[in-house]
Parts: sequence; C-alpha cells; structure tokens
Amino acid sequence: MLRVEGAGKSFERILFEGLDLNLATGERMSITGPSGCGKTTLLRCIAGLEDLQDGKIYLDDIEVTNIPPEKRGIGLLFQKPVLYHHLDVAGNLRLGKRDADVHSALKEVGLDGFADRRCEKLSGGEAQRVALARALLAEPKILLLDEPFSAVDEELRSRLLNDTIALLGSRGTTAVLVTHNIKEAESFSKNIMTM
Amino acid sequence: MNSKVVLVTLIAFLASISGCLTGAIDDKGMMIDERGVEVPTERVLTIVTYDIYGLTSERIMEFTNQTGIKVEMIKLGDAGAILNHLLQTKEAPQADLALGLDNTYLQQAIDRNVIQSHGANISNVMESAWLPYNGTMAVPFDQGSICLNYDTNSINSSQGRDVPTSLWNLSEEAWKGKVAIPSPVTSSPGRAFMIATTDYFANDDDETTNWTDWWSAMVDNDVIITSGWTEAYETHYSGGYGVWNDDHIGDANFVVSYCHSPGVEAYWADNYTISTSLTLDRASFHQVEYATVVNGTANAEYADLFIEYLLTEDVNLNMPIENSMYSVLIDSGLPADNGYLYHSELPSLNAQVSPEEIAENMDSWLAAWEAAMV
Amino acid sequence: MACSLGGCNGLKRKFENIEVALPFFLFSALVIIPLLLALDRLIYVSGKMPWQVFSSLDEHYLSQDAIGFTFLQALLSTALTLAIGIPIAWQLGRYHWPRIRLMRALLTLPFVTPAIVAAMGFMAILGSDGFDLRGERSTYLVSLLFAHAWFNIALVIRFVDPVISNLDPRMEEQLRLLPAGNSRWGRLRCFWIPLMFPSILCAAVLTFVFSFTSFAMVRWMTPSNATLETVMADVGGAAGIENYQIYSNELVLASSTIQFLVLILALWLLSALQAKRSRTIAEVSESHSRKKGRTGWLVLIPALLFCLSPLMAVIRSSLRVAERGPVISHRWTLEGWQSAISGDYAYISIIDALQNSLGYAILTLVISLPLGWSLSSGIHLLEKRGSYWAKPLDILTMLPLAISGVMLGLGILLGIIRISTVFFTMWWMPAIPHIMLSTPFVVRLLLPAMRRQDPELIENAQVLAMNRWQILTKIRMPLLRGPLIVAGIIAIAMSMGEFGASWILVRTGAWDTLPVLVDQLMTRPGFDPLVKPTAMAAASLLMLTTLILFLVAERFRPDGDGGMF
Repeated sequence: MLRVEGAGKSFERILFEGLDLNLATGERMSITGPSGCGKTTLLRCIAGLEDLQDGKIYLDDIEVTNIPPEKRGIGLLFQKPVLYHHLDVAGNLRLGKRDADVHSALKEVGLDGFADRRCEKLSGGEAQRVALARALLAEPKILLLDEPFSAVDEELRSRLLNDTIALLGSRGTTAVLVTHNIKEAESFSKNIMTM
Repeated sequence: MNSKVVLVTLIAFLASISGCLTGAIDDKGMMIDERGVEVPTERVLTIVTYDIYGLTSERIMEFTNQTGIKVEMIKLGDAGAILNHLLQTKEAPQADLALGLDNTYLQQAIDRNVIQSHGANISNVMESAWLPYNGTMAVPFDQGSICLNYDTNSINSSQGRDVPTSLWNLSEEAWKGKVAIPSPVTSSPGRAFMIATTDYFANDDDETTNWTDWWSAMVDNDVIITSGWTEAYETHYSGGYGVWNDDHIGDANFVVSYCHSPGVEAYWADNYTISTSLTLDRASFHQVEYATVVNGTANAEYADLFIEYLLTEDVNLNMPIENSMYSVLIDSGLPADNGYLYHSELPSLNAQVSPEEIAENMDSWLAAWEAAMV
Repeated sequence: MACSLGGCNGLKRKFENIEVALPFFLFSALVIIPLLLALDRLIYVSGKMPWQVFSSLDEHYLSQDAIGFTFLQALLSTALTLAIGIPIAWQLGRYHWPRIRLMRALLTLPFVTPAIVAAMGFMAILGSDGFDLRGERSTYLVSLLFAHAWFNIALVIRFVDPVISNLDPRMEEQLRLLPAGNSRWGRLRCFWIPLMFPSILCAAVLTFVFSFTSFAMVRWMTPSNATLETVMADVGGAAGIENYQIYSNELVLASSTIQFLVLILALWLLSALQAKRSRTIAEVSESHSRKKGRTGWLVLIPALLFCLSPLMAVIRSSLRVAERGPVISHRWTLEGWQSAISGDYAYISIIDALQNSLGYAILTLVISLPLGWSLSSGIHLLEKRGSYWAKPLDILTMLPLAISGVMLGLGILLGIIRISTVFFTMWWMPAIPHIMLSTPFVVRLLLPAMRRQDPELIENAQVLAMNRWQILTKIRMPLLRGPLIVAGIIAIAMSMGEFGASWILVRTGAWDTLPVLVDQLMTRPGFDPLVKPTAMAAASLLMLTTLILFLVAERFRPDGDGGMF
C-alpha cells in the first residue's frame, strides 16, 4: 500500500535519511520518537505537503513523490483540529464528502446532534472528532494522524484514541499515527517505528 | 481608566479656544488684557478679497510701512464669494474693506446694506471707469471687457469655419462642441457674458428669438459649460497658455475671457499668440472691479487709506502686468512691451446694462438661463 | 472586565459610564451639532424639507444627471479598485517579498496623498506629454475610474492582505487533503472566497464611500460631469443666506441628504461586515511560512509603477517651465521651487504654508489622539459588557468618514454662523474638520488593537494594586505604543492633506495650509509660465512630507495589523 524508500530530509540539520517504510492495506502503524525528531515532517512528506530531498514514495506501487497532495488521496489529522469557521459542523463534514450522511457520520464519532453547531463553540476534543469524521468521509487510501489528541487531557485522550482505533478497525482503514507517547503507540498498532 | 485623558483633551480644547479669546479685540480697536483694562493695540485693516494678483506681499508690506497699519487678508474664491461672505457676516462684519465686487454684484451689495460710503480722496480715476457706477459706495480699481476669444488657427474658410459675424454663427455645425463658457451660476466672467447676451439679442435684427433661444441652441450645439474661468480657458481653450500645461484638453476654439487676454498671452510669450478676441457690438461686457468699505466697520479710515494707496500710480499702473487688468487711472493704458497693447483689442460697443438693471433682473435671468439649458 | 461577571460595585460602574459618555458627548458635539445647525439653516432658508428638494437637482443645469453620475462612477470605481487591488493584496499576503514593509507603505501611500496633488499627477500622465488621452472625451470616465482605483487599492490591501498573511497555513493544507479541495476551483469556492469575502466587501464599501464623495478627482478628470459633491462645492458658498439664491440651499440640501442616506447605509453595512470579518480571521496564527513568489513580480512591479508614477509626474512638472512660443517646449529649472519658497505668486510662501499645515496637524493630533483613545476605550468597555450601545457608538465614530469634506466644511460654516460669526476669525476653526476627519482613523487603529490585547495583562495590574492612572500610563499605553504612534502619524497626515473642508473654512490668507496654497496656485491664471511649476513645487512639498510621515508610521505598525490604517 504505502512504501517509502530511502527518504531523506534536512532542515538546518538532518531530520532523517535513508528511511524505509512499508505498510500493507488495512494495516496500522505508529511512529514514535522525541519531539523535533522529524516525525511530523515525515508525515507531511507522505501527505505531499512537503517535498522529500532524497528518496521515493509509492502508493499502491505507483510513485507519488512528485504528485501534489490533493491528487494522492491521503487524509491527515493535524495536531490541532482544523475546522472552517465560516461553515457549521455539517458544512465541514461535507468538505469530506459532498452528499455525506452527516447524522450517521457524527453518530460514529459520538457527536450525535452536533450538525448545526458553530465550530468556534466546540471544545478541542469535539473539534478533533469532527475533523476525524470528516477525514473518514473522504475515504482516504491512508489516514495520517499527527498526535491528534495531544491537546486534550489524558483521561479523555485514551478514550478518544480507543474510539478512533475501533472506528479505523471496523472500516479497515490503513492508518499511520505519530506520537511521542509509547503507550499510545502500543495500543494503536503492533507495528511501531522509532525515529 | 481614562478620565485623565478626557481631562487633558478638554483642557487642550479649552486652552485652544481661550488662547484666541484673550486676544479678542473690542469694538474700539483696543486689546483687552486679562484685568479688563484697555491697552492700545496695533492698527489692523482686514481686507476681504478674492485672489487679486496685483496685491503681492511686498505691496502690502509697502502700505504697512507707509501708514503703520497692518493688513490681514480674508481670501475667497471670487466676486460672488465676497458677496456671500459679506451677507453671511452682515450682523458681525469680519472685514473692513472688500476688494473685488464688480458691477455685476455691486448693486446687490448696496441694496442689502453690506457696504457703506467711502471717504477716500479720489481724483485720478478716468471717466470711463465711473460709467457703470458713479457714486460714493464704491471706487473702481481695475477694469476690462469680457468677451469671446478665439483660436485664429481654427479659422478655415474652405471648411466653413469663418470668423463669426454674429453669435448665432457659434450655434452652427462648424463650431459644434467648440465653445467653452464658464457658468453664470458659479463664475463672475460667466455671469458678465450672460448679461452681455441679454443685451446683444435684445438689440439684434431678429425679433422672433431672444437670448435664451441662443443659449438653448448652444446646448444643442454641445457648448462646454465649466464651473470657472480657469477650467474654460486653461483646460478647454486651444488658443491659450493651457496648451503648455498637463491638464490641457484643447477641445474648444472659442472661450469667454477678457478682450485683452490675447495681449496678456503675447506679453508672457515673447509677443507670440494665436489667440484674438471677437469684438462684436454688445457681445462684450465692461467689467469694473471695486474697492468697497464694509458697512459697520470701525476702521473706515484705514480702508480709505488703503483705497488711496490702491489708486497710487505705483500700484495701479502695474495692474496690467501684475493683475492682468486695465488700470483705472486717467491717461493710463496697456504697456506696449511684447505686443501686450497690440494684441489687446478694444470692443467698439460694450453691452449697455446698468448695475440697477442687473440687480433687479439677476435672479430671473439666472432662472431663465437654467430653463434654457436644461 | 470584572463588571460583566457581576459583583462590581455600582459606583465604579457609574464612574465608568461617565468615562464612556464624556468622549462621546464631546465627539457628538463636534460632529453632529454643526451638521444639525446647518441642516436647520438650510431648511429654514429654503422653506422646504429635505424630501421636497430632490427634484431640484434635475431642474438645474449644473446638477442635472449628478445623482446618476455619482452612483455610476462610484460603482464602477469600486469594481475596478477590487479588480486591481485583490491580485496585489494576494501577492503581498501570500508570498515572501524582500522589503515588504516598504512595498506595503508605497502601495498604500496613494490613500494619504492629497487628492489635489494626485489629480495634478494624473493630468501630467494623461496629458499631451504623457499618454495624450485628454483630447478624447470618451477617456475621461475611464481615467476617473483609474484615479479612484489608485486611491483606494490601499483599502483592499489593508483589509485583505492581513487575512491572507496571518492565515494558519494548515487551513489550506487540510483542505488540499479533502475531496472538496482537490481542485483549485474547489479551494477557491470552499475556502478562499468565504475567507476573503467579508474583507473584500469591507474594502468595497469604503471604496464606494470615498468614490461617492470624491471631489478634486472628479473636478479635474471629468470636467463635464458633476457629482453631488461638486454640486455642493459649486453652490455651497451662497447657501444659508436669506432671500438670496434660494436654489443653492435646495441643491445643497438635496445633495447632502442623498449623500448622507447612502453613506449611513454603507457604514451600517461596513459595521456588520467588520463583525463578520473578525469572526473569519479569528483563526490567525503566529506561525506563517510564506512561500517565495515567482510570478508575483509581474503583478507587483506594475502595481508599484501605477502607485508611484502620478507622484513622480508631479515632481517632474515642478522642475519644468514652459517655453511659450509656436512650438511646445519646456526647460528644466529650479525656478518653480525658488518662487514657491519666496512666495512670489501667493500670499504666503510654501515654507509658511508648511508651518501652518504642521501647526494644524499638531493641534489635530493633540485633540484627536486622546479623543480617539477615549472613544475606542469606551466602545471596547461596552463590547466587553455586551452592551447594545457598542455598535451604534462604533458607527457614530465612523460618521465623519461618511461625511465628505465639503459637507463637513459647510456644516461647520453654516453651523457657526448660527452661533456667532466671531468664530470666523478664530485661527483654530479649520482644525475642527481635521479633528473630525482624523478621529475615525485613530479609532479604527486603536480599537482593533485594544480588542486583541490580553485582558489578563490589565487584570494582573489591578491585582498589583495599581491605580487607574498607573494602569493607563504604565500598562495600557506602553502596550499599545505601536498602534498609538501609527494613529498619531496618520492623524497628522490626514490633517496635512485635508482640502475640501479647509477650502471652505480657511478664510485668512495667513492661515493658508499647503493644500489650500496648491489650489490657489492651480486656479491662478497661468499666463506667466512660472505659475504652474510653482504650484507643482508646493504640491511636491506636500506630497513628500506626507510620504515621509507615512514611511515612519509603517515602521511602527505591528505585524499582521488587521486594523484600518
């Protein structure tokens, strides 16, 4: 599904070089490491938001290294949820799928009845769940999660993570989680890469 | 949180007001100091005028040196603005002397009691300058005749563009959109020219048409009406100094100006001009500009002194150069230098309209003009 | 503040109410009373009510078609301004440019350039020595539209650029990873347009307002057309006098009423849009990595040329004297500057006029800065309390923006005649319209800065037992130092460039400001070839002074300043 070969990137210093990665369809994987080690950058390179300096990226055996992000079919959940405040919750979900069944999508992430809410009224956890629902509606080939629940407190965080894992599992979504928390990584996937 | 700021604002505001109030001068021309005691102050003459170009700061300084009277100027746009100002401040006149009311406005100023008789000693003003008005309410200080000027390069007989022999020629196809006239509503020269047309068409051979018909015909012929003389002459006229300016359009071959404007052109351009005046009988208006003492002034004697100064040879004989107008002194004329005199044609017969007629009819003329134009 | 949470004692609240009320009272006295007195006078003299005089505009030659032309040129000017301004704002906001502050200052300089100077510059460019377009009447309207666009692109830049440049880049990145944003059009439709729309509309509304009330440009660029503003200027001088040229009262009354209604509507719209705008740009982030623009120079270089060429043209004209004769020729010389400095063609020299201008500017500053601070502070306090009064008072402070200079001057003139004509001789009279016109800009700069300020900083000071004066001088003012300096300089620049109202109110020759002097020299018959370069020298001095002030202001402008000027 996803194959990264000999990836290298430096910004003022070397972030990573000669990095290989391989992930099969439906598989989940975690990437851990101390902050500033280049985890997020690697994720952004896979999504296409940044360019690799060395190496190649393949999706379904097709090289996508120089293909712009919007053509790759990859989903990404940022550290802080990105919602568009000029739209309500339903409007944000429809960015993922135009004719989305908003209610069932919200139900899946435990936000039943939130469709008409204004985004600036949501809490951090709620907002990230909306972003997750939106990302899933888009049915990406791979979903990348960049420490998605780091902004919420620990108790809620593990619950949100478990919910997410259950959701991804039931859909068989291929996913990569970046986290500096080894426990989170362990509960997310067997496959753990340390940078 | 900001009461102090408000306080400071108020103090600054009040201080700026009171700063002026303590300098108030009472009606005897005495300064009142803070104890309420009158102290002698410098003598000040306040003149309300439009830009009289002959009155440079050196000339004013000279008057102050001669008489010890300081001069302050209230400057306005034109003769109409002077009358407006006098009317607006009638209850509490701000000026002692008004310079620049002409014979199209004078009678209204007299009728509305905004000016009073002068006491100046005048003996050297030529007779013709007294023609429109011969009384004690106003003293002429310069004069000229307003008439059409045209660009001699635009005359081309083979194309049907001959020198007009009647104002009606200007409403013909050959001069469509080629005539620029300042509006009588907003401009003094425009007003003077309109007055001339009332007399011109009252005395022409044609009994069936009157002056408003001509103006209507001019509208149909795309006449260019501007708000002031400057726009008409400088921007639109193809035969004047505007040609050298950035804002020049040059779409008009005829313009309302002074009959001696071509002379002024020549004077400043080394005896070169392509402009000349169209001196048809009664199509020009003899304009005299007056010095008038403001009614109720406490400084009438200073005003009289200034009027006398204005009529000294030193000042008045320079009017043609410094103010582009004729002097009013006996035996004066235009200088011959650079073709000034040569290019300044004198109209053989100006429109014959008295200040009384003007005052009486002005409102109805303007209304009739509007009706003809719209 | 603490009050809104309850538990605050009534006395303190009362004190605050007075504090809010006082500046508004002062401001209203300055702005509204003269206008009401003027309105009353016009109604009295004309014997008609405002709604009875509209038809008089069509009945007079000088004002027929004025209503139609005013709307037409204002709408078209707004459209052209947006068409030119949006690409510039986009390039400035989105990409990384060397010397961006200088560039932004130069591109927004036209807005503070006195209109009369700009008009001269445009004439020089369009005239026979430039594109030679003046011979063709059909070009006049288009020239006017470009001149208005030149003035107002600054508004588009000031409103739209911060929205783009302060944008959290993840907003766009996230969209590219969603189906709705996988095409350029999709991103435009789902994101960029809704994001920029309120700001663009704000700029559009203000552009409309300024084009609607434009005076000098209309006068010079479209000499054969009248707008409501030029009508008022033409006949305003005779207004307010009993039994004398009654039509002028009717025309002024009709023009000002229409202007006022349209502009109030525009301001109401602006206020609603600004609230919406602050909601959409609430997502600003400190971090922004600008990309390097590649093709952007194709937009920015022509834009800089467009903004600067009229100004260069004015300087050029000040250095050339016509050599009159059969051939059109000019020679290069400093004589224009020499005669301007010695005051040969005017009552005073440009140096004296500059001193007068600076004097009025400083007086304006001393009053409008504290006044603007108090007004902003009051509105901000009411906003925090959630008071219904916040919005109307916000609009009130913008009111002078909606009143044209000519109307303001006339209002004061006719208003003070009612009180006492003695005011005619008060040298500070002409400063009143300057204060009225610059205070809204001060408020527009300070209020957003106050809104952005962290309330904890002040609460913290209260905990430290500082008194109100200490909080003001030691905390609030130092924290707002940047916006305060910018506001002060803009107030000075607005005052220095103000023409419409000064033109009506400056009565004594010795008070002539630079713009008034420029106008006097411009309208003086130019038979003497040295008159024009002298006028241009005065215009150049005015422009250069404004330019320097503006560049200084730009240095103190905080990054990502979303306020208006």
